[in-house]
Amino acid sequence: MNFPAALPTAADSNSTDILAVANSPVLWACAIGVFLVIIVQSVIYMKAARIAAPHVGMSQAELKTSFRAGAISALGPSLAVVMVAVALLTVFGTPAVLVRIGLIGSVSYETAAAAIAANTAGAELGGPTYTQAVFGLALAAMSLGGAMWMIATLILTPLLKKGDSALRKVNPAIMLVVPGAAMVAAFMVLGIGELPKSWIHVVAFASSAAIMAALMVIAKKVNRPWIKEWALGIAIILSLAITYAATRL
Amino acid sequence: MTQAAEIHQALGAFDKTTSRWGRITMIIGLFFSLAAPAYLVFFAGLDIEIAGIITAFAALAAVFGVIWIVEPLTYFPILGASSMYQAFMIGNISNKLLPAAMIAQATIGVKPGTRKGELASVAAICGAATVHLASLFIFVGLLGTWLVSVIPTDIVQTIQFYILPTVMGAVVVQAIVSQKAPRSALIALVVSVIVVSVAFFFKPFGLFSTAVAVIATAVLAWVLRDRKTLGTPEDVPVDATPEGPVY
Repeated sequence: MNFPAALPTAADSNSTDILAVANSPVLWACAIGVFLVIIVQSVIYMKAARIAAPHVGMSQAELKTSFRAGAISALGPSLAVVMVAVALLTVFGTPAVLVRIGLIGSVSYETAAAAIAANTAGAELGGPTYTQAVFGLALAAMSLGGAMWMIATLILTPLLKKGDSALRKVNPAIMLVVPGAAMVAAFMVLGIGELPKSWIHVVAFASSAAIMAALMVIAKKVNRPWIKEWALGIAIILSLAITYAATRL
Repeated sequence: MTQAAEIHQALGAFDKTTSRWGRITMIIGLFFSLAAPAYLVFFAGLDIEIAGIITAFAALAAVFGVIWIVEPLTYFPILGASSMYQAFMIGNISNKLLPAAMIAQATIGVKPGTRKGELASVAAICGAATVHLASLFIFVGLLGTWLVSVIPTDIVQTIQFYILPTVMGAVVVQAIVSQKAPRSALIALVVSVIVVSVAFFFKPFGLFSTAVAVIATAVLAWVLRDRKTLGTPEDVPVDATPEGPVY
């Protein structure tokens, strides 16, 4: 029933069986569409690079080496993203996780966006109020939010390329302080807002934060940057296991 | 034709191809990413109102609006125009694409910012995209979907129920560490505790709590910034830019 080949059961706005709609074939088709677009884009870019390379004194071998170096260095980070994505499969379904968490967005932004969207409908992400209709609303909000990044990129890139001076005059101190503070506040208030709900919510939040903090300290002490890469996935999976144990007490 | 003119023409053709097709592919990607929720909203028979979507989007804009614009501005000087269209569709820019580009440039011994460096980073991002798509498809699309179908219902329920506090616990710590701005983090903590307490006793406030916390923190962090290090634009040290894979 969770397989993409299965026929979608009739949609029911009030059902909490999210995966019945989240794994629908249409959503799979859209996800595969995004995959194909990225493949086509990569092929076009590689072809263009191959044609331009000799003119800047770059051999085809050097281009191939660059491709391979990029591929190898992406292996670790990609598998780290896979780990996080798998943990969220039951919350958003496979197609949405592939597109939103695996590709365009990130787990932190998308989870926050879904929670904020659910809240505006008086519901919660993942609880008894997380119905098929709320999932649809959350996915719509996540996708529109993600679209804003793409639209900003489409509009700003040509402007920046022309060297638009107005954009470069933005006070760098504001750029340094405000977005960072806003992000930390968004995650902080969403996390702390979960604490009054039950002691198990406290366990979930605190164990995840503690594991992440420990991994960050270890990564710095033994100077192994890959630990930082895997920290998010490890923290989420371990603290889900701890939380599961807590629910059994 | 002189050699310089020939180089100029070849690179002009590269820029033209990548910016034209970069834009076209990004717009098609945008279409597919919006088609999925459009199907759920309009054709799946779910009871989802447009007004509700507008409200949810407005709430998101209040929280993330600044990031939508700032992120492309931040990455443009590092990525260059052609890679912008790759990066913002493939995602995971700071933790995967930038390291891939830097390693490729180091491997063949070219400097970032040069034309050769740009071509190396485009090729590296293509390589990274290939690996990323393959591992997502195999381990999430196929194996992950199978895994979810065999794990017991009570575990599925636990994950769904407690995913938000679990993700946010780790993400908050990661954001604080990578931003390297303890003052902003402290302000965010104080503001969040106040906002959550108010929302706890006065339920209707809960609808706006995230936006209020974010805007209040951003304003306070700016007003109360360390004026010694962040006083004027010229004083900002280059290496003070946050490294994080936060957004």
